[in-house]
Amino acid sequence: MEQPSLQSSLLGKFQPEVVTTDDSSDIYTIVVKKDAIVEVVEFLKEEMGYQFLTDLCGIHYPDRELALGVVYHLHNFKTNTRIRVKTFTSVSEPEIASLTGLFAAANWMERETYDFFGIQFVNHPNLVRILNVEYLDYFPLRKEYPLEDQTRGDKDDRFFGR
Amino acid sequence: MEQHEREHILVRPEDYDKNFSTLNLGPTHPATHGIFQNILTMNGETIVDTEQTIGYIHRAFEKLAERRAFYQITTLTDRMNYCSSPINNIGWQTTVEKLIGVETNKRIDYMRIIIMELARISDHLICNSVIGVDSGALTGFVYVFQEREKIYEIYEEICGARLTTNLGRIGGFERDFTPSVIQKIRDFIDHLPKVIRQFESLLLRNRIFMDRTINVGGISAERALNYGFTGPCLRAAGVDYDVRVMKPYSSYSDFDFTIPIGTQGDTYDRFCVRQEEIWQSIKLVKNALENLPEGNFHMDVPEFYLPDKEDVYSKMESLIWHFKIVMGEVNIPVGEVYHSVEGGNGELGFYLVSDGGRTPYRLHFRRPCFVYYQAFPEMVRGSFLSDAILTMSSMNVIAGELDA
Repeated sequence: MEQPSLQSSLLGKFQPEVVTTDDSSDIYTIVVKKDAIVEVVEFLKEEMGYQFLTDLCGIHYPDRELALGVVYHLHNFKTNTRIRVKTFTSVSEPEIASLTGLFAAANWMERETYDFFGIQFVNHPNLVRILNVEYLDYFPLRKEYPLEDQTRGDKDDRFFGR
Repeated sequence: MEQHEREHILVRPEDYDKNFSTLNLGPTHPATHGIFQNILTMNGETIVDTEQTIGYIHRAFEKLAERRAFYQITTLTDRMNYCSSPINNIGWQTTVEKLIGVETNKRIDYMRIIIMELARISDHLICNSVIGVDSGALTGFVYVFQEREKIYEIYEEICGARLTTNLGRIGGFERDFTPSVIQKIRDFIDHLPKVIRQFESLLLRNRIFMDRTINVGGISAERALNYGFTGPCLRAAGVDYDVRVMKPYSSYSDFDFTIPIGTQGDTYDRFCVRQEEIWQSIKLVKNALENLPEGNFHMDVPEFYLPDKEDVYSKMESLIWHFKIVMGEVNIPVGEVYHSVEGGNGELGFYLVSDGGRTPYRLHFRRPCFVYYQAFPEMVRGSFLSDAILTMSSMNVIAGELDA
């Protein structure tokens, strides 16, 4: 989905190394340096009319240097367009600024993302686990925790009922 | 505002000398209609603040989906909003179709609309009648429960299941509507308006019900948008956002229907919006059934749609596809899609990332309940406990959708 006007205003406001665009998927996508995420989303919200935070979720690419990502979906009701904003960080420094100052909806979505990916949202009012138990000491949706292989043969059927 | 001993519970300075009590509403409480907890800080009968604990039925669907073939994920989506599971099923199937680039024909689209609108009717019937129950009017609930039973019978006729339906397949349906299905839908749609009118005459202009619900649990349009509200709760606040109109899927653009909106965003408005949506859904089902086009009930998607059993036994190619699909050995194209449908509670989104493997690389469900339930403290602060219960039931918080 090509959005030339948005692209030019984004590139006019931010340096090209801060914001890179990508038209390859179904929604116009921008990748933002994590230091600038609040600034860019605020610009999109206040000046470009993307006033609705549809979705926020994490993603993990263990092979990349910046392995942890956060994907935001914003919606502009006036022009009825969506935009996808992505930002990436490394596992050793999982801090990303929180969007709770801009969207109240981000509160639980960020807690969920923290719960499953261990991304620390800076300035979040109450960053604790939301769906998992509090004493869980790992972040289950990261790729280093694979689900059990359905075909493994080292389990005794008498105990596992298969 | 100063911090209470439990963090993020706000207490006003003039209330310092008061004795607050803590009340646990849930996890298993008849008024929560599901397993989630509200810890209320009460000043007498008035709510000072509340904190929600959720996750009691978290089943890690997003993680499970990373090891499952696409057709096996449909059964996971059933268990999210179990009051309208066909919408979840079809939402997932249309997401996959968007990723693999399948355009369904009009017959499939219309069949899907019929089922999704029936599911919406059953979802709204339950929610609205439960508002009645929670305000002390059990009668309406009994009236409409029979109608929900009929909707479940229609599901049963179509797919064999009632609650967790696993209805439809990627690329269409597992079988065509039989004449008996069509007859059942027609009978149901002809009979339903009478029941809904009866139900509305019980509650809609009932003085007690209006006193209990008007100006209870209200939220402004601006705050609702900020909190990510969608569906009837957002429309009650006065924003006419409906995925069926804004991002039409499954040929919704062929139909003429109205999006009802409220003005106050309170419990009564939510009730009225849902009630009007039932009327609109009846109209949609009627129109779709009358104009149901001829055509095949599934598309030609050999990678995802199971071949005929007869062909499996007699044709080599069908046998191979059958094996590949069942064993989950179909490679999925690389891609990234976000697709959403209008669920019973609002925008039900599926964010699917595929890296070309046989299962999703990442699948995220945008559950409308989860997003808007976080506004609950703001909506009930300063109100009575009995009002909070009505607010909760009018938000139609479904535990399965909350936790995924």
